Amino acid sequence: MRFDLGWLNEQLDGEPEPDLLAERLTACGFNVEVREPVAGTEVWDVDVTTNRPDAMNHRGLAREAAVACGIGLRSHAFEMVEAGDPASTSVAVAVDDPERCSRYVARVVRGVRMVQSPQWLRARLERCGVRPINAVVDATNLVLLELGQPLHAFDLDLLAGRRIIVRRARPGERLVTLDGVERTLTDDMLVIADGERAVGLAGVMGGANTEISERTVDVVLESAHFEASGVRRTARALGMHTEASHRFERGADPEMAAWACDAAAALIARLTGARVAPERIDVHPRPRAAAQIELSVPALGRFAGLDYEPAEVAWILDGLGFAPDAAGDRITCTVPSWRVDVERTADLYEEVIRHVGYDAVPAVLPVLPTPPGERCGGWGLVDRARDAAVCVGLVEVVTYAFIDEASDALVTGSAMEPGDPLPLVNPLARTQSTMRRSLLPGLLGGVREALNQGESGVAVFEEGRIFWQRDDRPGEAERLAIALAGVHGSWQRVEPVGFASLKGVVEAVCGGIPMPLAEWRRGGGPWLEPGQGAEILSADGRVVGIAGRLADGLQQLWGLRQPVWVAELDLRAAAQPGVTSYQPLPRFPAVSADVTVEHDRALAFSELERTAREAAAELVERLELTARFEGEGLPAGRVRTTLRIVYRHPDRSLTQDEVNTMQAALRQQLAERLGVDFA
Amino acid sequence: MGADRIDEVRRAFVRDLEAAGTDPDAVERVRVAYAGRRSGQLLELTGALRELPAEARRDYGRALNELKGLVEERLEAAREAAQAARASTGADVLDVTLPGAAVPRGAEHPVHLVRRRIESIFLRMGYSVEDGPEVEDDWHNFEALNIPPDHAARDDQDTFYLPGGYLLRTHTSPVQARVMRRGSPPIRIIVPGRVYRRDSDLRHSPMFHQIEGLVVDEGITFGHLKATLETFLRALFSDRVGVRFRPSYFPFTEPSAEVDITCIFCQGAGCGMCSRSGWIEILGSGMVDPRVFEKVGIDPDRYTGFAFGIGLDRVALLRHGIPDLRLMFTGDPRLARQFA
Repeated sequence: MRFDLGWLNEQLDGEPEPDLLAERLTACGFNVEVREPVAGTEVWDVDVTTNRPDAMNHRGLAREAAVACGIGLRSHAFEMVEAGDPASTSVAVAVDDPERCSRYVARVVRGVRMVQSPQWLRARLERCGVRPINAVVDATNLVLLELGQPLHAFDLDLLAGRRIIVRRARPGERLVTLDGVERTLTDDMLVIADGERAVGLAGVMGGANTEISERTVDVVLESAHFEASGVRRTARALGMHTEASHRFERGADPEMAAWACDAAAALIARLTGARVAPERIDVHPRPRAAAQIELSVPALGRFAGLDYEPAEVAWILDGLGFAPDAAGDRITCTVPSWRVDVERTADLYEEVIRHVGYDAVPAVLPVLPTPPGERCGGWGLVDRARDAAVCVGLVEVVTYAFIDEASDALVTGSAMEPGDPLPLVNPLARTQSTMRRSLLPGLLGGVREALNQGESGVAVFEEGRIFWQRDDRPGEAERLAIALAGVHGSWQRVEPVGFASLKGVVEAVCGGIPMPLAEWRRGGGPWLEPGQGAEILSADGRVVGIAGRLADGLQQLWGLRQPVWVAELDLRAAAQPGVTSYQPLPRFPAVSADVTVEHDRALAFSELERTAREAAAELVERLELTARFEGEGLPAGRVRTTLRIVYRHPDRSLTQDEVNTMQAALRQQLAERLGVDFA
Repeated sequence: MGADRIDEVRRAFVRDLEAAGTDPDAVERVRVAYAGRRSGQLLELTGALRELPAEARRDYGRALNELKGLVEERLEAAREAAQAARASTGADVLDVTLPGAAVPRGAEHPVHLVRRRIESIFLRMGYSVEDGPEVEDDWHNFEALNIPPDHAARDDQDTFYLPGGYLLRTHTSPVQARVMRRGSPPIRIIVPGRVYRRDSDLRHSPMFHQIEGLVVDEGITFGHLKATLETFLRALFSDRVGVRFRPSYFPFTEPSAEVDITCIFCQGAGCGMCSRSGWIEILGSGMVDPRVFEKVGIDPDRYTGFAFGIGLDRVALLRHGIPDLRLMFTGDPRLARQFA
């Protein structure tokens, strides 16, 4: 909020150095964020936190400043002359809803002239960011900025039946507010009405139908106290936010209503030559008793970690209006009406600690039992996944968890669909309207950006949560997505990325997590180009991942000029890392021998491998694919595959004859069981 | 046979070695011819020793040893010369300035680099790292933290809502409530995680990251809060960083403190990065409000505690000089690769 330094100083008994004042206010909780010099004074932008509506005016901030600087606060005074018939002969006030309006104070001011405010007043308003309008309205705004009480002026002649009724709006009731907008109201909204209709939205904004104008002669001033959450609901429902609603929502001072009403009436009379009618109308159905709170100075000391002087504590509380009554080290405080935030002892602790100063509290590390800290929940898992991905050369990106609906819909119907879409009720943008059920859409945006910028190879991953709902309950789970595009390798050997690169990366990452993968089978759903992708299964047969080439249509949709290979893994399938047991290192050398088979393309490598493994002798240590060839010299649809079989005997060296015998047996089995030829 | 023969071999050796020049193969041939282990001439001369009369053996032996020494020395020198010659002219000389075969290097996103750095500081201080859902209910995100419905404090945290009254957590603090409800003091945790607020501009992203901390035990004081955060901030930034605690307001702590550090760009002198103030706001903190303890079933008369929260993205921006928060979440891998 903006404050006029001169105006602030006017409240103080003594004029502290501006630098000191700014420093002290900041140190007691009112951060002076910006200081702007203006003609002869300064305008300060001070951060007044939402719990301190009482300091959202010059008088209230000055109270804090006085305590912070150790000086006094001047008393607030004005002169008022009353004349004419009593106010009640001009207007009658009734409050129908005392829950929502605990007090309604009104003054009648007769014979106003619509003049401009004097320069000093206009300048003060402008410095605080309020536009001057006319003397009557300006006077109400000045009082608001000085004392914090929102006020409203009605044109008395326009109030039907010369009555003011504070009541709930009728459902569908309409009111054109001062900003010229017609509002349709609900019965949760409190209005100020005259004998016929609503003339103001309580605590938010007045109505256009009773607005002060050039023709106004007599004015009714409203100075009321409205309940916070009701004002907030009303303002939010109508999308409004005003100086008045801002303060009422945070809690206004019910005791200030009368004083502020008088101050405003007196000011209007002084500025416009009007007369204030005798009698302050004050409907006060719910007066509030002041709460008393006891504070123990030693307990405060134990809480803060600093021993306080009871006299200093009492002096601070007195300056802030808590009327402290000290008995030894116990102090009984009476909470002033403006301190809506203070309800219990802890609230008083805060008052003392911040005014004595946070700096005064010595910093001491707590002594606590120190078992080793642990990483709980999912953090261990996701960081293992992150490390595994970084380890194989992938670069991490982080994208928004909300995406557009069309991109999200792409996961629908696939084995990786976690549940129904989870849309945002109040998204910021259409492109961020639903929670992602897949990490792939976000990842592709970054891939496109990098490729468009001329990157020759892209290898990225994202680790993050996906979201869904099922049976009206939301769900979320960690996933890892990978995208490869362009080329990989170095100047000696550059290759376009392909399925083998992707599968190698996925297997290495899963190995590092660890996330055991049982089977790769053709498939993958709408994300992948048919015939170019795989579903990855866990040991229990669940699809826990997909990997393959992004479908042509999607490649176009994302504006990607080259193929992109993508994978997404459901990290719920990860295993706990165990402790590996040592296996004795082999003592005798391995012997390897190749076998090259020619077969139909349709024969899956996994089948060839499985058959070879089953057929192979016990002494086979491992099987490796060393070459695969199709094309020239081979009939169409035929493939030549070379397997390397590594044999090892645990207790002695193998002879070539033994290996030859085992190889021959293997060939025979492969021919019999798979009908392959040998090259 | 005798000393003459030795002289003869010496001369022949010197001549042959000279002829070999710096050709390594020729040098090797000379070595085999003279010093070869199976048929070299030195071997032959050594064999001849046995045939000499005893009185001649001593001189012969000495001369032979001298020759052996010379051969060894000269051969070594010739080999070195040959190697040196090859290194300066040969076809198999490497251009060691060529780039290496690239081994792919991955990179973590700066926000996670910072998160893990902060986690490691607190793990060393005996804190555990906790986790919680990003989709929350109103109770955990607001009510348990002393933010009742229709309360103005909700304005500070503009919220994304989901169907069924659920919402995206606006801070990591709901995990505090979950941990306190499920466990009992002493509690010492940090909670990193992703949070969401309905706000987007240069300094605000609708999605960002926080780390929350919570300590609850008997006798925890505001002084403990100060020392813990000072220790942490000095470990994170530098031993020399200044730390300032300013009173502020959070509904779930009382008293509350904003924590500033001396501007890491100007060391507190005042610059554009710190709006000329010399201070950078870095943390929110405070003593746990007794109302929060009541909501989660911890006795506020017996226990006190402190809590704090730090924006990870903001720390990453500060540490690495990234100018705009939104650059963090475009998905462009070139960001993280800079910090590999």
